Amino acid sequence: MDYKLVPSVCSYCGTGCGVLFKVMNGRLVGTLPLKTHPVNEGKLCIKGWNLHEYVNHPLRLKAPLIKINGRFRKVSWDQALEFTAQRFQEIRDRYGPESLGVLVSAKITNEENYLAQKFARVVLGTNNIDHCARL
Amino acid sequence: MRETVRAWLESGKVSMFLGYRLLEGHPVPHLFRRDRLEELEAFVVSPTRYPLEKLAMEILAAEPEGRLGLLARECTGRALRVLSVLQQVDLERIELLPVACCPSPLHPNVTCSYVEPSETRVGKEKWGIDGGVDLEAMERMDGEERFERWMYEFEKCLKCYGCRDICPVCVCKDCSLHNTDLIEGGWLPVEVPLFHLVRAVHMAGRCIDCGLCEEACPVDIPLRLLYRKVTAIVKDLFDYEPGISTGTLPLGLMGDEEIRRLTAHQVA
Repeated sequence: MDYKLVPSVCSYCGTGCGVLFKVMNGRLVGTLPLKTHPVNEGKLCIKGWNLHEYVNHPLRLKAPLIKINGRFRKVSWDQALEFTAQRFQEIRDRYGPESLGVLVSAKITNEENYLAQKFARVVLGTNNIDHCARL
Repeated sequence: MRETVRAWLESGKVSMFLGYRLLEGHPVPHLFRRDRLEELEAFVVSPTRYPLEKLAMEILAAEPEGRLGLLARECTGRALRVLSVLQQVDLERIELLPVACCPSPLHPNVTCSYVEPSETRVGKEKWGIDGGVDLEAMERMDGEERFERWMYEFEKCLKCYGCRDICPVCVCKDCSLHNTDLIEGGWLPVEVPLFHLVRAVHMAGRCIDCGLCEEACPVDIPLRLLYRKVTAIVKDLFDYEPGISTGTLPLGLMGDEEIRRLTAHQVA
């Protein structure tokens, strides 16, 4: 039996609370607050306390889905990206870049947010960028 | 202390040892084993406390043949005795390595996170209850003021269930905080003082005054003080002290059905 406690950061919101995952035989079985973390100082909200649950949840999406003939079907990442890029291009060519917008997230890093706005401005050519913290 | 753990593991006195190691600058609980003795280099005793007893319970259940060494403060010993009364751990399979904790002139170098003075905030002083207040000081207040101050504290509750989740003696499969006859599910704010009193009642004969609930509370509700009162009542009425008395609980709050549910896997 392999049992260890692994420090991590909560992925639910942008606060960045420290958590400690209980890992038994390679499977997440529980979450504790990381007591010495400067952000949350050993406290968590209800979402943080149950962070391990969605990782092993049977309904968790593990692959991209594309709606084909009204039904979602599992596809590869290459197929999904190809499809999305093509649709973006079609929409931009037909309605102009202002018809597109990008919503970024508190759950991703500053750097990823930076890349997302760069993608919006340079690749898509739109200034329509917003963040979930403002929704 | 590190050498004691090494000796215990090498001699086979225990097959694993649950203590703390320094990982990425944080003291975190760690299961040391004989085949990975080099990990003892990071062994650490710090004021930081986690509910090691609860982890020990999971570890012993997953490794039925194992013997576990456990870094133990005084509250750890008390918690284990309660868990043993609830038939959750077999004390014969646990070897305690004591570490000084409770503050006294005899123990100047205490290693307990609870000893650090809590911050008194203006709001707490004016309307609430400071974590450092003792039971006697509380009881000197008149009933109305005491009630007002407790309500101020309870109303801050975010319903994170952290007090229950961190609690080393909260082991029920069927938690009364999820009983919809008592508490409506899915609503915030919680109904006060009902939510906190339901938990307080269920701490009777169980709370070992470790203070982990209060440390985990995001809104600083003085839970330790609340459960101290409950413990004092149990002591007065039944002369029972959880974690010190060895018999079963004086109150059948858990009910025989709950004990059966808890021990079902052990029989199977």
